[in-house]
Amino acid sequence: MKKILILLSLFLMMGCYQDDDLVTLYPDQDVPESLQIKELIGIKLENTIVTDRVAMNVKLPLDGKYRIKIRHGMNNELISQEMITAGEGDNLLKVYVASLEKSGYLIQLTDEFHNVLGNQSFVVN
Amino acid sequence: MKKILLLLISVLFTLSTYGQSEINYSPVYSVTKVGDTLTMKFQYNKGDGGDLTLAQFDFEYNNKLLSYISSTSQAPTGASYARNNWTGYKFNPKADSDEDDMDVQYTWWKDEAGANSYSTSADWSVERTTIQHSTAYVDGNEFVKYQFKIKDKFNSGYDNYNNIIKMNWANYQKSDGTVIQTIKSPSTQSLTGIEGGNAGSFTINLKTANSVKTDYSYTIKNSAGESVATGTFDESGQASVSGLENNVTYTAEANLAEDATYLDEVVTVADLALVFAEAIGAGSGPSGGSTTFDYFIQDIMGDVVGDGGVVDFQDSYEILAYLQGVTSGNTNLITQDGQTEDYSGIESTYGAVANNTVTFAKSFTPLDSDVSTKTIDLAHGLVGDVNFSHSWEPTVNSGEKATSAQTSSFRISSAPGSKFSSTETANIDLISEINSEGQVVFSINSDVEDMVGSQFNIVYDPNVLSLENVVFDTGNEMTNFSNIVQEGLVRVGSFDQNVSATVKQGTPYKLIFTPLETIDNTSGLISFRVKEGVKADGTQINFIIQ
Repeated sequence: MKKILILLSLFLMMGCYQDDDLVTLYPDQDVPESLQIKELIGIKLENTIVTDRVAMNVKLPLDGKYRIKIRHGMNNELISQEMITAGEGDNLLKVYVASLEKSGYLIQLTDEFHNVLGNQSFVVN
Repeated sequence: MKKILLLLISVLFTLSTYGQSEINYSPVYSVTKVGDTLTMKFQYNKGDGGDLTLAQFDFEYNNKLLSYISSTSQAPTGASYARNNWTGYKFNPKADSDEDDMDVQYTWWKDEAGANSYSTSADWSVERTTIQHSTAYVDGNEFVKYQFKIKDKFNSGYDNYNNIIKMNWANYQKSDGTVIQTIKSPSTQSLTGIEGGNAGSFTINLKTANSVKTDYSYTIKNSAGESVATGTFDESGQASVSGLENNVTYTAEANLAEDATYLDEVVTVADLALVFAEAIGAGSGPSGGSTTFDYFIQDIMGDVVGDGGVVDFQDSYEILAYLQGVTSGNTNLITQDGQTEDYSGIESTYGAVANNTVTFAKSFTPLDSDVSTKTIDLAHGLVGDVNFSHSWEPTVNSGEKATSAQTSSFRISSAPGSKFSSTETANIDLISEINSEGQVVFSINSDVEDMVGSQFNIVYDPNVLSLENVVFDTGNEMTNFSNIVQEGLVRVGSFDQNVSATVKQGTPYKLIFTPLETIDNTSGLISFRVKEGVKADGTQINFIIQ
């Protein structure tokens, strides 16, 4: 009976955990704090105001092909796009903005078929 | 008794009207504009008044609208003359009395008003003239002439030149000191039809298809061709100009800055297709004939070699050479990086045809009486931009080509008679990725049919990537081009000069780059500006990338 009670207590404790707490408990040590993404999928830049290049984390649900799109922040026009083949989890990459005009932009993560998985705004200054 | 009363009334009436003279004041010469000299004469009209030996009168003028120059006595030799003036005062006429009755107003000032006769008023100046002579003044003789300069009413606080001089009172006396009843004429002096002066705030509205209005400047010149105002337009395409004068005719022109960053996007394969089609099918100028253009102004803008407003094969090959990055040996007028060739004019007549000549009227005349003349719409166009991507499309009827002159096989519009506006959109896929050899491959993937031409201006970071090769797979009949316009900008495209072969579907263009440093991905390294195509029927295709 004592063993059953202990087992039940353990189940209850685990049920009280949130996903966030799980990620926080087991962070990827290779990912700097500024690039950590709590959700299972997403895209995150190290800084929002960028001048030359900026580190980026692309967190993916599965291995596969994905698109990273840069859209104009005003008219949503696509002005740059790359296809990446990457693995599940965090992928530390870069965004190069030196040849982009000074303006506001939106960086977008989609799957191969243009389904949006995440996005973040940034400014080239 | 009744007869006596009638006699008394008659005597009293006679006494009351007896002995009245006048003081007249009026301009000697007509004045028409700001800056003119107004000469005012002040004149004696004896009427049936007594013999005048002392004349003293007091008038005021609006010193915001008139500037005193001089006064010259007209009194006869031997007469005494004196002038007094006080600036910043205005006469207060006697209440409930006739303001034209000069001796009544004189008596009011002298005996009744005390300190209330004048009040301070910065806009007014008081002048007083006194002339005394031993013999009677001759009827009709002048007392004095005054000269004033007419000032600009702009910012004066006054809308017109009404009632700018007003006689306050007059003291006419006979030699025995008897006051002569006096009236004035006119009651006040006004000026009408005064032209010139500061036009106040003048507005120029820039008309262009270009969304970046701040790259444009304006120049306003006078009739001598001298620049009187320059400046730039704001982000809405407006410029507020000051310092212009009413009733003066000026000219205005607009210019696009030659260091604008997008000039290499103005003339593209779509313009090339239009010029080629015109050269093939028309080759006609404003005088008519078969044409593919909708407007006569396109003949001017398509004449990139500048040989007289005629679009021919020389122009089309010049544009093709420009897109290919080939130096033709000609000095062309194509709008391109570091070079603009502007046309501008008043929008309501922009591109109009008069006597077989395309016109760009630039003159305008601000008028104080017509507020609509204080604003002009200034249209702007660029040589080579025959599809109006960065230029204003004319609206004036006489600038349109007759439907009957237009060929239907290749027009910028979908049907003869319809105007330039027809474009199509099509999806394409532009994408960069790193291949297994570590090269960056930028692919242009298209399933668009019937494209006789296409163009892509690709921007890349030259500090990270080096362009190694451009791979074409457009079919066997297309003339392909790729040239580095400047460091980090490459122009790629195709065009069939016979306007029949089309760009092959699939991946017609592939750019191969070598990284100059270790990179794991390419985000932001390659972006695209111009991305357009043109179909066999002349329809422009604007590509959409999902």
